[in-house]
Amino acid sequence: MILLQLAINGVLLGGVLALSALGFNIVFGVMRVVNLAHGDFVVLAAVFAAFGFAQFGVNPLLLLPLTIVAGFAAGALIHHVLLRRLPGEVASAEASSLTLTFGLSYFLTGAGLAAFGGRFVSVPYLTGAFRVGEVSVPQARLLAFVVAVVLSLGFALLLRSTALGRAIRATSQNLDGALACGVDVDRVRTLAFAIGTAVATAAGTLMSFLYNLNAQQGVLFTVNAFAVVVIGGLGNYTGAVIGALILGLTESFASYFMGATLAEAAPYLLFILVLLFAPGGLRGRRAA
Amino acid sequence: MPQMRKRRRVVLQAWHMSAPLLVVEDVSLAFGGVQALNGVSLEVREGEIFALIGPNGAGKTTLFNVISGVLRPDGGDVRFAGRSILGWAPHRIARAGVARTYQIVRPFGRLSVVDNVAVGALVHARTIGQARNDARDVVGFVGLGAYADRPASSLTLTQRKRLEVARALALRPKLLLLDEVMAGLTPTEMDGMAEFVQHLSERGIAAIAGIEHVMRLVMRISHRIVVLDAGRRIAEGDPAAIQTDPAVIEAYLGAPLAGAG
Amino acid sequence: MKRAAVPLAVLAIIALLLAPLRLNGYAINLLYVTVLSIALAYGWNIISGYAGYFSFGQIAFFGVGAYATALIVVNLHWYWMAAALAGGVLALALAIPLGYVMLRLRGPFFAMGMFGMAQMVRVLVTAVPATGSGSGLFLPPGSGITEVYYWTLAICLGAIALTVWIDRSAFGLRLQALREDEQVAATLGVETTRAKITAFGLSALIPGLLGGGYALFLTYIEPDAVFSSRLDLQSIVMAILGGLGTVWGPLIGGLVMTQISEALWARFPQIYLMIFGGLLVVLLIALPRGIVPALAARFARRSGA
Repeated sequence: MILLQLAINGVLLGGVLALSALGFNIVFGVMRVVNLAHGDFVVLAAVFAAFGFAQFGVNPLLLLPLTIVAGFAAGALIHHVLLRRLPGEVASAEASSLTLTFGLSYFLTGAGLAAFGGRFVSVPYLTGAFRVGEVSVPQARLLAFVVAVVLSLGFALLLRSTALGRAIRATSQNLDGALACGVDVDRVRTLAFAIGTAVATAAGTLMSFLYNLNAQQGVLFTVNAFAVVVIGGLGNYTGAVIGALILGLTESFASYFMGATLAEAAPYLLFILVLLFAPGGLRGRRAA
Repeated sequence: MPQMRKRRRVVLQAWHMSAPLLVVEDVSLAFGGVQALNGVSLEVREGEIFALIGPNGAGKTTLFNVISGVLRPDGGDVRFAGRSILGWAPHRIARAGVARTYQIVRPFGRLSVVDNVAVGALVHARTIGQARNDARDVVGFVGLGAYADRPASSLTLTQRKRLEVARALALRPKLLLLDEVMAGLTPTEMDGMAEFVQHLSERGIAAIAGIEHVMRLVMRISHRIVVLDAGRRIAEGDPAAIQTDPAVIEAYLGAPLAGAG
Repeated sequence: MKRAAVPLAVLAIIALLLAPLRLNGYAINLLYVTVLSIALAYGWNIISGYAGYFSFGQIAFFGVGAYATALIVVNLHWYWMAAALAGGVLALALAIPLGYVMLRLRGPFFAMGMFGMAQMVRVLVTAVPATGSGSGLFLPPGSGITEVYYWTLAICLGAIALTVWIDRSAFGLRLQALREDEQVAATLGVETTRAKITAFGLSALIPGLLGGGYALFLTYIEPDAVFSSRLDLQSIVMAILGGLGTVWGPLIGGLVMTQISEALWARFPQIYLMIFGGLLVVLLIALPRGIVPALAARFARRSGA
């Protein structure tokens, strides 16, 4: 029974991780930028939601549209003002985009600490649980999971059925090809980064149901997203969902069987192993 | 012209006597479902100018990657100077005497032209000073002397092509793999490059030139030709034989050859 | 300019050697931390600046050095410098097999992989009972800041000398070649795996040696203190700010950064991190290649005109 319980916890967590990872993935797919500030957007939104709930009793779900819009605007601005200006040569672009998002990550952490302080907070919302036999399903987790699934489906729909989505997928797969087909790559990149941060902030709002967080925990979510995306294959959106489930299950089972301390190492171990032995991701093609 | 024909005859005689420098035997390699190389074989002798022709995607670059150790074939063997070099690391193959250039030029952008070339020269030089001196000679030899101390990223495309050749030459190779070294050059520059390759050949350096177009030059300077199409060897022979080979004409050469006559 | 450099360097070194005699406690601590982060920046610059493998995990070797030193001092009662030396050697010994595995990864995969590796090492150290688990380890008091300072200064100068050598050597040229294009470097005869692992080993040895001094400086160590992402970040930023893969980048970047950091920390403790991160972003846009290359370019233009 405990195994079923752990599996349910893992899947519920995986749903939210998948949403977060989709945001990370689109930025990498389109721009080949590993956004080290990704987790800081997640955490900032989470802390903001907790703050809103504690101070004004705002239902975090009502905040969701607002955080999505704010995340989108912040992402568009950051890309337009900063990332676009990085040097174009491939060799140095990789290093400088890492460094830039690294600095951005510290900026956001600092801003979060200055605005909300360093206390760990979460949203004590829907604290009850559904019981099915001996298995309990915490309501808040279930809600976060359902919303995350809905948003992920919306994201998938955006990618599959709109002109922008097609441009994004084309740019992810083949930059030169997209350029040749007249895709306005700069615009696609701005939108991709904006969508990436919007998805991150949405995921963060949901994370506030699941975790106790402060502004310094961002790196945790950057690593999670990276791990998910590595497991699923970079730029592979279906893979990311599977990767998230695997990671969610790993965290859930590891913390039960290995204790909280060693479980902390589980996602790192998992993603290093995948990096080394299945460099294209578990579902990914092997690079030629 | 008569002089050249005479030289070709001399080389051909040598070809029958000497042991092959490079033997590619029944090499196959597939990427996913695409058979990039399908049982390709060829032999190159010392000092020979060997043309590997075929349309884009025929497998020329893949074959170069296999010979230089960048890719490992699914099957077959590659022997250099009598030893199988299959599975050798690229640096070991380079040190043994196989140098290559890249179709899409890949200079070390932030290093100076001399340092680009000195990397290869380090294989023979005892000190870095000596490697840089050797590199300077090679840089002068390919006509880049005036740019020796500039960063390689400041070179034009033509100059970068020369830099590719200079880097390869600094290894003092016995075999040079030239991947589309003519592409993007003006006709005069092509003649210069052709003369250069012939010059190397006279010094005993064999060359395999992977070439898509410019048949006029291929026919003039190469001793032997292999035609690749979709990963398969469809013909082999000296230029005269290739020009009249019906399979070649059908598959690939037809029109351009008629013009080049 | 070249001629003035040598006497200037000698003067600077003499000043640094005499500093502990004249400085008060706070100033000597600050000087120690400055020298420490510059030395860490030099260590990081070898694998990440010269070889182009961005590592977000070299701090793991610092932590390993610190814990090794603490354990040896506490359990075997060695003189701490001998223990710190052993810590450095252990870091090097771990780096070689680790590098063999991790250096197959490239770009962001290597960067994040090393980050994950460092986190794993931190967790593992925490899980071992001998290290006092998460609660930490006390070192016997006795060795003052002066000894730690001289140890760190010696390693920092050694790291600079090593970098000067690398910059001029065949080894350095090979590293730079593989940084620019690894496959091309290999087909030009560079034994890339060996060069990378050597660079990685040196970039582990330096923090490994420094870790022991830090343990003594703190007199009490715990995982979060020695696997310090703040120290890691600071040294990385210093090297980038000064100029990646340059001899003087980490030094110049380090001096500039410490000044800025101290001024900010004193004046805006609340929003220190925010300004710090913002500054990094702005500097990166303004000077994408760092201070030293920017100065060199300006100097070259002047003398050319």
